[in-house]
Amino acid sequence: MSKVKVAMDWLAACAGCEMSVLDMDERLVQLLEKIELTSTPVTDLKHPPKEGVTVGILSGTVNNTTNLEVAKEMRERCKVLIAVGDCAVFGGIMTMRNFFDTDEALKRAYVETESTVDGIIPKSEELSKPIKACPVNQVVKVDIHLPGCPPSADAIYYVLTELLEGRIPVLSGENLKYD
Amino acid sequence: MDKMINLKINGRQIRARSGQTVLEAAKTAGIDIPSLCHHPAITPHGACRICLVEIERQRTLQPACTFPVTEGMRVETESPKVVEERKFVLQMLFSERNHYCMFCEMSGDCELQALAYRYGMDRWTYQNPYPKIPVDGTRKYFIMDHNRCILCRRCIRACGELAANNTLGVKFRGARTMISADMDTPFGESTCVACGTCLQVCPTGALIDRKSAYAGREAQVERTKSVCMFCSVGCGTEIITRSGRVLRVEGEWEEHNKGVLCVAGRFEPVYDNRARIKTPLVKKNGELVSATWDEAMGIIASRLKTTKGNKVGAWTTCKTLNLTMSEFVAVFGGKLDANVGVLEPTLAEMELPVGGSLTDLVSSDSILVIGADPLSDHRVLGYHIKRARAKGASVLLVSDHHNGNAMSRFADRQFTYEELPRAIRMIQGTASPSVVYGAGTGQKAAEQLGILKRKAHFIPVFPATNGYHAKVLGLQSGLNSTPLEIAYLLLEDISPGEEVLQWAKKAKFLIVHTSYHGPITETADVILPSLLWSEQEGSIYNLEGKKAAVRKAVPLPEGLIPENEVLTQLAARL
Repeated sequence: MSKVKVAMDWLAACAGCEMSVLDMDERLVQLLEKIELTSTPVTDLKHPPKEGVTVGILSGTVNNTTNLEVAKEMRERCKVLIAVGDCAVFGGIMTMRNFFDTDEALKRAYVETESTVDGIIPKSEELSKPIKACPVNQVVKVDIHLPGCPPSADAIYYVLTELLEGRIPVLSGENLKYD
Repeated sequence: MDKMINLKINGRQIRARSGQTVLEAAKTAGIDIPSLCHHPAITPHGACRICLVEIERQRTLQPACTFPVTEGMRVETESPKVVEERKFVLQMLFSERNHYCMFCEMSGDCELQALAYRYGMDRWTYQNPYPKIPVDGTRKYFIMDHNRCILCRRCIRACGELAANNTLGVKFRGARTMISADMDTPFGESTCVACGTCLQVCPTGALIDRKSAYAGREAQVERTKSVCMFCSVGCGTEIITRSGRVLRVEGEWEEHNKGVLCVAGRFEPVYDNRARIKTPLVKKNGELVSATWDEAMGIIASRLKTTKGNKVGAWTTCKTLNLTMSEFVAVFGGKLDANVGVLEPTLAEMELPVGGSLTDLVSSDSILVIGADPLSDHRVLGYHIKRARAKGASVLLVSDHHNGNAMSRFADRQFTYEELPRAIRMIQGTASPSVVYGAGTGQKAAEQLGILKRKAHFIPVFPATNGYHAKVLGLQSGLNSTPLEIAYLLLEDISPGEEVLQWAKKAKFLIVHTSYHGPITETADVILPSLLWSEQEGSIYNLEGKKAAVRKAVPLPEGLIPENEVLTQLAARL
């Protein structure tokens, strides 16, 4: 049997969820006997392959136009999409920015920061634009939600092994935590 | 006896008392129905709808916390319909405000979070609009973060029913509803008395204790049942500690105070930052220097042995454990035959009964308060008087300073001491009167009150914590005026007033047994360190005259010895 293809990517995230993935330790090696990680934010290949993958994993909040593109690309190229972590599932800390309008937030970040001298707000056309911060399921359909800040390595391992066994994972007990 | 009712919950035949709610009946039978706005100490409200259950012949699901049991009732508490509805209710609760657990102080101990886990909530159906809601940090000891509030109204009910203070209410309606104080006043500027009862009952992270925030979750802390040492009410407490450090104090629900404490018992002790005395100190060449117990006790013993008993005066605060006070009497009164006494009045001169309980008080229909200011000095007692008043009791206040007494705002009638006979006649005519009498009552008034002995519940208000025991031991208050060679003062953690300072200065040799440095220790010849409230182990008598166990919640600082042992060791050297 060929390996199941899995692609990972992140949106506005802190890499805590990725640390939890790495935290699976030797179980990661066992998993890699059954799955092929086509692309991740911490390896050379960043985009999921055009021919598609079985499982897509997204962490982080949809926070700007690039995040939106990344989320849409992942959704188009995967069969099962997992939102990992409180940011991807609920919106997370990034949603605090929604209290302010974008200009106000950019000014605070690039001009008013205490350590900044003569700050300017970057305006290049190539840069992505901030949008209202929201969880992944607000912009694309999500099949499996795995909350946690970050979810534990055990919870991530549980979700992946259940999927490999052909079951839809149901979170409970220690696998379901929001902090 | 209450009528018994037969009903079936989840197919199980159970018996419940008439008047019980479905939730209470289920709890008694060991069947768990989740609840959130419900709290056993306050009136059911039915605000959150988490306890919805399926009841046969009811058109819709009904809240178990408010629905009374009836004969032949059939209830399902976890049927698919109930579970589906509870999940919906949870989604609604999470949809309103900021319920991101990851940075919440309560995460791990939150009742809302626990329910979301129980019902497997892995996403939000209704995306949280997360409105910008202010945090009220105007109170000294705890913060109200409206963002975490689920409007269960436990705080409002605790404030009104338990503390009888009625500070809290709501403003606005629907999703814009907010908990508010005194018709929209910042909490710190409101009529809030900082008793902290609302803080103790809040199920989420909406009310946060400043001192213990982020300092440890329930699984990481230890709870020690003890007694509040800060007035003679003697409220039951739980001292919450972690790694030998006091985090906070909570009211014990099973004791006479039923969970309620006041600012002096719940918060102030944890904020005490006076300089602690860590070792015995002796005066050498005009300076106080550290000494061993052996050295300090040696000096005291040699002085005592060469001084006549009548030239020795030993005074203690009432705020000390039973055993310590008894030992104090045995050593100074018995062995040395010295002048002994207590620093605070003991009400011993009044031949009035004791033993009235807070339960008696709350069910009274008239309460005579005389010579006391319970809302200032014995606040939990004051709250109970207000509770009785809310239930219809009339409060009669006899005092000389109407405006200075915090109770005067809540008194239905006020009298001077000359008018006492009229007040007595008024409560004589009621079915269940109580008399709350304090140190200001006086001999004459006490005699007049004697007529109520058979009818009323008498609640003594001792000016200091263990005044009851001091009275039993026959200790008299009032400092003697004859010149003393040696004065011994057992102060525990109190700072004595000017009168005591002047008295102590007159003695040729002054021994102070206390916890903190202060004006009195500066004039001492020998200082013995004493333990703090959280380190004491023993018992005191509470306001109902019941012996209550004071338990050690934190380890003793190195080298410290309990006061009663110090006295025993000292006696052995005499």
